[in-house]
Amino acid sequence: MVAERSTPSLHSAVEPKQTWRLVLDRMFRSAMPTLLLIAVIIFLSAPFGVPGQEEMQLGVALCAVWFWGQTRPRLMPTPAVFLCGIVLELYSFGPPGLAVLALLVFYGVARHWRYALAQVSFILVWLIFALFVILTCCLQWLLVCIHAFAFLSPMPGVFQAVLTVGLYPSLMALFSWGSRTFANPDCA
Amino acid sequence: MLSIHAKQIVARASLAVLVMLAVGLLVLGWAKRSAVDEARLLAADLLAPAYHAMVWPQIQVRHWVEDLHGATDLARECSRLREENRALRHWYDVAVVLANENAQLKDSLHWIPEPVPQYVTGRVTRDDGGLYARAVLLDVGDGHVVRAGDVALDAAGLVGRVTEVGPHTVRVLQINDDASRIPVTLTTSRADAIMVGDDGAMPRLMYYPQDQHPIEGERVQTRGQSTMPAGLPIGSVHYSAPNHPVVVPDADLARLDIVRIFDYGGQSLVAPDAPGRVKARVMDAKPLSSDSAMFGLPFLLQSLPVPAASGH
Repeated sequence: MVAERSTPSLHSAVEPKQTWRLVLDRMFRSAMPTLLLIAVIIFLSAPFGVPGQEEMQLGVALCAVWFWGQTRPRLMPTPAVFLCGIVLELYSFGPPGLAVLALLVFYGVARHWRYALAQVSFILVWLIFALFVILTCCLQWLLVCIHAFAFLSPMPGVFQAVLTVGLYPSLMALFSWGSRTFANPDCA
Repeated sequence: MLSIHAKQIVARASLAVLVMLAVGLLVLGWAKRSAVDEARLLAADLLAPAYHAMVWPQIQVRHWVEDLHGATDLARECSRLREENRALRHWYDVAVVLANENAQLKDSLHWIPEPVPQYVTGRVTRDDGGLYARAVLLDVGDGHVVRAGDVALDAAGLVGRVTEVGPHTVRVLQINDDASRIPVTLTTSRADAIMVGDDGAMPRLMYYPQDQHPIEGERVQTRGQSTMPAGLPIGSVHYSAPNHPVVVPDADLARLDIVRIFDYGGQSLVAPDAPGRVKARVMDAKPLSSDSAMFGLPFLLQSLPVPAASGH
């Protein structure tokens, strides 16, 4: 789970021939986490009127960069995280710049602690993730209060944090399945 | 080709550099908030047709469900509509009589006719308030003449005011947003107040006269200050707690669909020039920017030269 390249390189004599179709397939599979995240961010900005839709935008993005940073950072490199953050900034209306910073911090933590995180239980990883989510929501609320120069209700931030932490297990299962199938370049 | 160590160094440095860039964006976003809002408006503008396509199946399904409900309860719906029609016919007669009487009275008083406002109708493209704000984006198409400060109404009442104008879309700040302050008149007690949004469903009433507290259930209208005309319906007064009057909006702010943007000429009532008075100059079609907006109001303060004393 931790190894970035799960399949060892084959000998050149037994490696499949590098056809353009294979190269393209591998390329798309590698870019799939980033492309999917951008698609989800744009999809969730459409006016469906679903309760919690705006909160899900940031929640899904945080879960995604955490997962891919922890398991397969090669499939979502740092510039891709930055790009996702910029798209999230454009299609959400939170305090400017915070989404990019939050995504990069989550990614950095998950990526640099990935060996340690792989050795502890899922519940502990979930708790660490929850801690960072709470910090992000507090920062978001603080920035909005400073901008409005008023004491705003922290309830939207609490809802954001609860939703993001609640989404984590189901999204992890989904991403794990994705990393084994459609987003696995070794399956090309 | 880079070595493994060089690649690792580049990977680590890229994260640090991009984090610095993100911090820079954060600072820049706060310093030039208007530029960020314009970029977001432009991005929403680009995707407006795609949003329509994405929402189309949902709208169709909703219509089918409504049709299905109507079909299953046809007899009761028919009798309800008959009753409603009878009542409406009565109110139509009353309205015709009152309109005639009103026209006669205005004619005899030499009433100056009020200008008929221009308006455009748009569909809500998306809710763009975020967690701590209440605003919507409207798709008003090409060639619109919407200006910042114009008034937005749905079928029932006041929705808010236009704050940013893009090529195809405009942003409407709702009356329940935390930044919204609207001068209102209470129709029964004839008291003035300020309606203050607090990001909840019902904006609060503040700064009303202490000897004239708002009455539960009385109607709330705009007062006619700034670019907003008097008499636009907003909602009715309700006490959510003792000494905490709020306005229950007529407009369905949670589920906005079709919204009209009215242009009342953009000319507020400005008092005649007087020596030493600070003149309020009404802004024209140029969209608001953070440099020009004064406390969110669409005017600029312009000091007038004080005439020299006439020494007699």
